[in-house]
Amino acid sequence: MQKRSPVSSSHPRAADAAIQAQQHALRSRLGFVALVLAVGLGLSWFGVGHVLLALRSIFDWTDINLLLRWSGLLLLVLIPTAGIYSLVTQFAFWEGWLDGLPDPTALFPDSPSISEHRCFVVYLDGIHQLERDHPPRVSAFLGLLDQQLNPATRLVKGLEAYTVLPVALAQDIGSAWFWRRLFALQEEHPNGWIQLLAAVLVQANNVIKVGISSDHRYGPIMNYELSLKIALRLGEVGFRPDQGQRVVLVGYSGGAEMAMGVADYLRRICRSPVSIVSFCGVFSGNQLLNQLSKITMIIGSRDPVAAFGRIAYPGRSPLLPLSNWNRALKHSCIERREIDGMNHNGLRGPFAELHRQAVVDQIVQAIESEDAVALR
Amino acid sequence: MEIQAALDALGGWLVQTDIGLGLLLVVGLSMSLSHVFTLLANRLNRRQIIVHLILDGLMLSVAFLLSSTIDMVLLATSASMTIHPSDFINGVAVCLLPAAFYLLVAAPYVGETIGFGIWVLMHLNVITLLHARFALPYGEALFLATPGYVVAVLLVWLLFRQGWQAGYSTLASQLSDTHGA
Repeated sequence: MQKRSPVSSSHPRAADAAIQAQQHALRSRLGFVALVLAVGLGLSWFGVGHVLLALRSIFDWTDINLLLRWSGLLLLVLIPTAGIYSLVTQFAFWEGWLDGLPDPTALFPDSPSISEHRCFVVYLDGIHQLERDHPPRVSAFLGLLDQQLNPATRLVKGLEAYTVLPVALAQDIGSAWFWRRLFALQEEHPNGWIQLLAAVLVQANNVIKVGISSDHRYGPIMNYELSLKIALRLGEVGFRPDQGQRVVLVGYSGGAEMAMGVADYLRRICRSPVSIVSFCGVFSGNQLLNQLSKITMIIGSRDPVAAFGRIAYPGRSPLLPLSNWNRALKHSCIERREIDGMNHNGLRGPFAELHRQAVVDQIVQAIESEDAVALR
Repeated sequence: MEIQAALDALGGWLVQTDIGLGLLLVVGLSMSLSHVFTLLANRLNRRQIIVHLILDGLMLSVAFLLSSTIDMVLLATSASMTIHPSDFINGVAVCLLPAAFYLLVAAPYVGETIGFGIWVLMHLNVITLLHARFALPYGEALFLATPGYVVAVLLVWLLFRQGWQAGYSTLASQLSDTHGA
């Protein structure tokens, strides 16, 4: 059921946003040109030769070569070490050394649900997520989505998809001091470069979690732990197993990978149909997906990050026909929707005014099309 | 008296090969540590984990010792090159040094790529050793080094298959079965 349904921006608000985006892009380009000219003039004034001489007096080519090699080696060791460290918390939680691993038999209250909702939409954010509260753009997006969902559907937001612990990163026993300091640097440091570096480090932690979720060795445990966390939350908002309610996981970017990871466990824990709607999703497709009701991928025609996901995860390549993703494709439970001109983030991203409405429409359509199938 | 002479010879050989055997042990332990998480995943207690790690490390060191022995025998029979076993094992163990970083294979997602890289590096190192030390052409060095390498890969794969990979897949299926009803 491969389907392409381009969405045009016919909305008047979208047209205004497009003009604003154009103006902003023009201003940015002008700013960039001015910056290049200024730097060029400065260098000419100082003299390129002087710069080179100054650099040569500090480093010679052997030093630079050595520096590059050591930096490369350091990166080669640091990246796996960070990954291994990240696994430690997850396994400590699994072992019960840290409190909070829920009992899988007592996830839902015994009392019957008083909720009239038939469908629970769980939003899993991208790797930019730092805490339960979403950034303003994402909050605005979720507000719009909540308005457009039908009254029988409940939106569940504020789930921290990149930590299996019941507490936020900044309250984690082992690393709270580190995360608090990093968040403070990111928000308050006067130097923009330090702020950027802190943001990159925070996001690197979430990227590692996406890697763990897709790893066939560690994925099962992490995905199971995360699905317990989601099930607990669903229980709090009125979900009860075996009562004809269903769950839709909506994942943005890396959140799509987390959604794919937890979906099958959640289906078993909740004893209800589970489907996935991903937008700008970067995911491996390594998990068991055959038993899901449906997977809808909403992608932007200009999204290089989501396109990179197809290269980074070989399981999605047609060269491996027996991979879980390709098996799910054969089962025809994957639908693809494309939004023209949409990028991964920024002014042309799904949360920007330009495409926000289109993405929300597609998500609502995907959810309601399943409702229609269920009613038939 | 013969037993004492044999023990003396073995003792002397072990002393001469201390660097090689030490490195092989480091390699074995590093490879063993790379899968420590499966032991945690299967909820073994601390003592069981330590015993597992040491035994697996020793088994892996023996696997590499066996592959070096095959290389040595082939070198003697096919290329008529004789070398003292302790010298050869000391040389080969240095070639296996990249595997001292095998611990990094535990890293999520990038781990398997790192593992592949380390295996390739080890083989290239042994080929280069045979070429440089015995003046064998690269083709012949590749021919002589490959059987031992294949045996090492097979032994390590078998051990992984028996222990660690089985541990991970058992756990994954148990998690599925827990909520399968």
